[in-house]
Amino acid sequence: MSSPAYAAVRPVITAWSAVSPFGVGRKFFVDGVLAGQPTAAPLDREQWPGPDEQACLVPDFSVKEVLGRKGTRSMDRVTGLAVSTIGQLLHDADGNRVVRTGEESALVLGTTMGSAQSTMDFVRDSFTGGQPHHVDPARMPNSVMNCAAGQCAIWHQLRGPNTTLAGGGAAGLLSLDYARRLLHHGRAGQALVGAAEEYSTARAWLHRHSGGTTVLGEGCAILLVEPAAAVGEGRRPLAEVLAVQSRFYLDADPRRALAASVRDVLTDAGVRQEEVWAAVGSAVGEPGEHEHAQLRALFGDAAVNRMPGADLLGDTGAASSALRIATVLSVAERSAEAAGKLVVLSAVDPYGTAACALLRLAD
Amino acid sequence: MTAMVEERISKIKEIVCEILELDESEVTNTSLFVDDHGADSLGSIEILASLEKAFGVTIEQSELPRMVNLDGVYEVTAEAAGW
Repeated sequence: MSSPAYAAVRPVITAWSAVSPFGVGRKFFVDGVLAGQPTAAPLDREQWPGPDEQACLVPDFSVKEVLGRKGTRSMDRVTGLAVSTIGQLLHDADGNRVVRTGEESALVLGTTMGSAQSTMDFVRDSFTGGQPHHVDPARMPNSVMNCAAGQCAIWHQLRGPNTTLAGGGAAGLLSLDYARRLLHHGRAGQALVGAAEEYSTARAWLHRHSGGTTVLGEGCAILLVEPAAAVGEGRRPLAEVLAVQSRFYLDADPRRALAASVRDVLTDAGVRQEEVWAAVGSAVGEPGEHEHAQLRALFGDAAVNRMPGADLLGDTGAASSALRIATVLSVAERSAEAAGKLVVLSAVDPYGTAACALLRLAD
Repeated sequence: MTAMVEERISKIKEIVCEILELDESEVTNTSLFVDDHGADSLGSIEILASLEKAFGVTIEQSELPRMVNLDGVYEVTAEAAGW
């Protein structure tokens, strides 16, 4: 593998936020990660009349309460999660805008399939209404998967390239790679990068009937990624993105694809396996056990044990690998030992994608 | 009959205010959705679709240019419903 030319742009993560089962905003996330607090809780069966007894929900999350009444009448949950996470990233605790955005600001948002609930609701209305066209037109945009990214751009004036990337569990890492290319080719001056997944009754049923056994979770994590040479005023690099690689696998076994992705990122960055300080998997449940076993075999127990497990937040689908980057940044924020260290993040999606990213934490 | 007309008018107002995210006190019979209340074109389509559903009528999209305020909406709906 030749080193990718776009490594020259040296993309760095300079800010981030998350809306997760730990709460709304970065502070709740850091505290939750460091406390290692599990978030699964019994579901209110009236609000969530699906197959699940429990899930990891963003506590008391309601789009109208978090974002206000204006412009939210037909906003679905995944859109609300993404819009509010970006809002958290762009503003300080007092609501002052601290990150400027405009023509130069790209958004790359990872997803599985947008909102399964919105898609199903819209189709159901068409089948059960008096006429096929007796649907709520305002909900039509929710039924396409780039709705969340589009709404984020409208709410927060992100006028650069707007990309939705469907990659399931690997979406967060694929988005990071996509953003690197945007920055390298000068398509954007800064990129908001991340992924979002909502909990819904429709998603729970799809999960159940696909044989899923993990406890579902939800959330969104967004990173601000800029070229190292053009970091905005008042910000500093938190981590450098050294390499991202992904592979498809067509048999049921992701191990070879993951091993190849890991090998590629190390080669790209000229890093030896034993130099990696932490190795962080994204999957949970049984797939997570396999992913972590492989990381242990490659990097040793100490590297894997440096980060809290992904299970705290449940199976957060597309958001998982983005939330894992946030987990790494949370640990780095409170750990002097982490400074300057190399971190491998991996993700394995059950539908055929394995991905790996290599970050260097700031000194 | 008058009670029924009033009920219809109030139902229409409720629909319009819900869609345009307005308080009922903000809207008069003649205030313009787009010019006075900042509505967009999708809002008009939503109002049309919602009225069709609520009153079981069919309203042609060619009527949209008349549906600029509550009076206009009532007129078009009344014609479609044969009130």
